[in-house]
Amino acid sequence: MRLGHWAVACLMAAMAALPVCADDSATTLAIPATTSAINSPTPLSQRVVAYDMSAKYNATAHSLEGTETLTYHNLSGQPLDTFPFHLYLNAFQPTSTWMREGKREGTRNQTFDTWDNKSNGAEEIKSFEVVGQGDFTSQLQFIHPDDDNKDDHTVVQVHLPKPIPPDGYVQFKIKFHDQFPETLERTGWNRDFVLGGQWFPKVGVWWHGAWNCHTFHAYTEFFADFGVYDVKLTVPQNEVVGAVGVEVGNVNNPDGTKTVSYHGEDVHDFAWTASPHYMNYDDTFQGSMGPVKLHIMMQPAHWSQRERHARVLKDVMDRFERWYGPYPYKTLTLVDPEPGSQAFGMEYPTFITGGTTWLEPEGFHLGSAETIEHEFGHQYWYGMVATNEFEDAWMDEGINQYTQAKVMDSLFGASASSVDLAGITWSERGLDRLFYLPTPDLDIIAKNGWQYANSDAYGNVTYGKTAVVLLTLEGIIGEDTMRRAMHTYFLRTRFTHPTKEDFLKTIEEVSGKDLRWYFNQAIYGTQVLDYAVLKIDSTPADWYKDNLKEKKGETEYVSNVWIQRKGEFAMPIDVEIKFDNGEKVRERWDGQDRWVRYEYHKKAKIESAEVDPNHKIMIDRNNFNNSQTAEKNPTPGSKIANYWQFMGQLFAQALAWWLV
Amino acid sequence: MSEHRNLISAGGNIAGRNKRYVVWFYILNLACGWIGAIAASRSIHALTDHSLYASRLLRSFDLEVFFELLGRPEIGPIGKFAAPANMMAILFLVASLVIMPGVLLGYASDHRISRDEFYRACGRNVWRFVRLFVFFLIIAGIISGILFSGLNALSNAADKTSNERLPYLVQLFGTIFILIILTVLRIWFDLAQTDVVLQDQNAVRKSIAGAFRKTRHNLVPLLASYLAVAVVALAILVSGIVLWNQIVPPYSVLGAFIVSQATLLLLLAMRFWQRAVAVAFQVREITEPVIEETNSVPVFAAVS
Repeated sequence: MRLGHWAVACLMAAMAALPVCADDSATTLAIPATTSAINSPTPLSQRVVAYDMSAKYNATAHSLEGTETLTYHNLSGQPLDTFPFHLYLNAFQPTSTWMREGKREGTRNQTFDTWDNKSNGAEEIKSFEVVGQGDFTSQLQFIHPDDDNKDDHTVVQVHLPKPIPPDGYVQFKIKFHDQFPETLERTGWNRDFVLGGQWFPKVGVWWHGAWNCHTFHAYTEFFADFGVYDVKLTVPQNEVVGAVGVEVGNVNNPDGTKTVSYHGEDVHDFAWTASPHYMNYDDTFQGSMGPVKLHIMMQPAHWSQRERHARVLKDVMDRFERWYGPYPYKTLTLVDPEPGSQAFGMEYPTFITGGTTWLEPEGFHLGSAETIEHEFGHQYWYGMVATNEFEDAWMDEGINQYTQAKVMDSLFGASASSVDLAGITWSERGLDRLFYLPTPDLDIIAKNGWQYANSDAYGNVTYGKTAVVLLTLEGIIGEDTMRRAMHTYFLRTRFTHPTKEDFLKTIEEVSGKDLRWYFNQAIYGTQVLDYAVLKIDSTPADWYKDNLKEKKGETEYVSNVWIQRKGEFAMPIDVEIKFDNGEKVRERWDGQDRWVRYEYHKKAKIESAEVDPNHKIMIDRNNFNNSQTAEKNPTPGSKIANYWQFMGQLFAQALAWWLV
Repeated sequence: MSEHRNLISAGGNIAGRNKRYVVWFYILNLACGWIGAIAASRSIHALTDHSLYASRLLRSFDLEVFFELLGRPEIGPIGKFAAPANMMAILFLVASLVIMPGVLLGYASDHRISRDEFYRACGRNVWRFVRLFVFFLIIAGIISGILFSGLNALSNAADKTSNERLPYLVQLFGTIFILIILTVLRIWFDLAQTDVVLQDQNAVRKSIAGAFRKTRHNLVPLLASYLAVAVVALAILVSGIVLWNQIVPPYSVLGAFIVSQATLLLLLAMRFWQRAVAVAFQVREITEPVIEETNSVPVFAAVS
C-alpha cells in the first residue's frame, strides 16, 4: 500500500471513529426546560429524555396506534451508538420471560393454569426512524439481557452507524401499535375501563457505565430516566380520562372522539386511564412548594368515599412533607380503578391507583387508606428517588413499606394502624412482621428482583423483611435520627437514581454510627435473629437450712437469668428483669456469645425477665420466647382456646342441625 | 297465620316441657367441643402461659399476636388442630343420630317417658335413622349441588358486570334461597324421622313418601314455623357475638366463656324447637288422620 493511500485510509478511519452528531439539526435539539407542571421556577431533575407522543385508543379492540418522538440527551460522558428500548406489553405473551416466570411461580394471585387469549398483549414497532440517520425498522433486534429466552420480545435494541457524542442529542421517531391485555400487572382493560401503563417504547437508562434495560420479569417493576412528557390521547368522547402530569388541552373531534393533552415534567414514566364511569372529585393540598391539585377519579359505586379518599391522601401528603421533603408537582391524580380489575394499587409519577370496595368500614384501614398511603409513598420512593426497581426492589417497595408503617401509625395509632374494628386490632408493623416471618432467611434483601427464590420470597423479603429491618434500625439509632436520615436521603437523592450504598451510607453518616455489622446481617445476609429467655430461677440463699421459712421481703434469694441467642444474627440487646418487690434491673448484652447468665442476690424473687423490653427489635423471629414469667398466666391461652372451642361446638351444631 | 302460630307455640310448649333433652345435648356438645380443643389448648398454653408478649391478647383481639401464634411451628398448621375438632363434630353428629329417636318419642308423649322407653326407642330406630340419613345425604347432595352450581354460574355472570354490588347480592340472596330449599328438605326429613318413631315404621321409604306429601300439602305453615325459629336463632347468634364483643372485657375469659356457651345453648334450643314443631305437626296429623292415609297403623296411642 502506498503512503498516500495509507494516509487517506488513516484519515477516513479516524473520521469514522470520531463521534458525530446525528445531523446538523441535532445540534439544535434540546430537552425543554419548562416548569409549568411543577411548583419550582427551575427544572428539578437532570432531564435526559423528552417524549412527545400521540395515541389513538380503540376502546372496542382495546388497542392503540401511537407515534412517539423521543429526544435523548447523551449525558453518559461517552459516545453512544446503541440504544435499547423496553417494549413492556410484549411480556403478555405465552412464551415471554414474564409469562414463564408467572406460570412457574404465579404472580399477583394469577396462576395461568390455562392461557386466555384476553391476556394477550403486544407492542409492535411499525416504523423506527433516527432523525438524520434514516429508517432502522428492519434493523431492530430483540435482546435478552437477563436470560436466554429468544422468544421474549420485551427489549429491543438499535445500533446506530453514527454514534451520539457526549452531551449530544439524538431524536427517534417511532410509530407503534399496542394491544392491551385484560388487566395484567396493572395495565390493560376490563369491560370499558382501561389503564395504559408501560404502553410506549421506552429507552433504557445509561447507569454506571452501561445500559440498564432489563427484560420484563414477573416480579420486577421499572426503571427510566427523568424528562419531559407531552402526550395527546385520543379516545371516544364519552370517556373520562386521567393521566400523569397536567391536563393542557381537551378538544372534541368531528369523528366522535376527543383529544386530551397532558404535560409532565421531571417525571420518568407516563400512564393514563379512561372509563365512561369515572366521577371526578377535585381538592387542593397546600404543599410547601405550592398548591397541589388533587384529582380523584372515583367509581360511581364508591362516590360516597370520595371525601374519605381526599382526607387520607391529604393527611398522608402532610406527613411526607413534614418528615421527608416537599412534593413539588402541581397535580396528583388518584384513580379508583374498575372493581375486579388487576389495576389497583399501582404507582406512576403524579398518578396512582387506589382500590376500595362498596363496603369498607371506617376502622378498616387495610383497604383503601393503606393503598392510598402506599402508592402515594411511591411518589417519594420511586417517583422522585428513582431507584432501579429491577435490581433494588427493596429500595422502593421496602423503604416505602417502612414509611407506610410510620405514616399509618401517625394517622390511626400505632397499635391499630391497619385494623381497628369491633375490638379487633392490627398494626402496620404487625402486618410487616407477618410478611417477614414465613421466609426470613430464604433470600437476602439486596438482590436482583427476578432472582428471588419464588414469588413469596420476593414479596416477603422486599416488602415485609425490609420494613421490619428498617423499623429495627430505627430502634437502634432512634426514631428522630432515623427520620433525619430519611429526610437527608430524600433531599440528596431526589431526581436521581441512587444505589443501595447511597442509602445505607446516608444512614451511617446522619446517625454517626458504624452500622455495617447490622447491614451485613440484615441487608446483605440471611441470618435470623432469635433471642430467648432460656430460664429464670430464684433460690433461697439459705436453701440448705432446715425448717427454712420463706418470707417476702426478708428472705434472701440467689436469682439467675439465662438469655440465649438461638439465631445466627447477633446484636446488642437489652434485658429487663423484674423482681417481686417492684424493682427492675436493666442489663445490656452484646449478644455475641450463645448465651449469658445474670446473677442477683436480693431479698426478692424474680417475677419476669424480658429481652428487648422496649420492643424495638422487629426482626426477632419469635416474640413469645422473648420473655418468661415465674408465675403462670393461663388467661391469654385460655382466651384463644375458648375461641377455638366455641368454633368447634358451633361447627358441630351446624353439622347436626342440617344433617340429622 | 294462626296455624303458624299454633305450630310454633305447640312446638315451644313441647320443647319447654322437655328442656332436659336440650341440656343433655348441650352437655354432649360442650364435652365434644372441649375434647376437640384439648390439643390446641395445650399447644397454645405452652407458648403463652409464661410469655409477656401473649398478654397483649388481653388488651384487645390483637391480630398481630394471634397470627404470630398460629404461625409458630409449635402450633403448626391449623389443620393439625382442626382434625380432632372435626372428629368431635362427627361424633356429636352420630350421637345426635342415635339419641334423636328417644327425644322425638319423649316430645310426642304427654308424660315423662322412662329411661327404658327412651333407650328402647333409640335402639329400635337407630338403623332406620341411618337409612334416613343416607337418603337425606343423597337427595340434599344432589339438590344442593345443582343449586350451588347455578349460584356459581350466576355469580360468575354477575362478576362480569360493572355493578360491584351485584356479585355480593347474588351470593347473599342465592345462599338464602338455597338455605330455604334445604330447610324444606330438613322439614321433610324431620317429619319422616318423627313418622318412623311414632308409627314404628320399619319401611323408611313409606315415611319418606308420607312426609313428602305432608310437607307438600302443608309447606307454608311448616316452612313459616321453621324459618321463624331460624330467624330467632340467627338473632341469638348475632346478639351473642355482639354481647361478647361489646360487654365482655377483652381480659375476661370467664365472661367470654359464659356468653359463648349461653349462645350455643340457646342455638341448640332453637333446633330442638324446630324438632318439636315437627312432632307437634305429626301428632296433630296422626290424631286427626287424613282419610287416604288411614292404612298406616299408628303406634302413637301406645305411648300417649
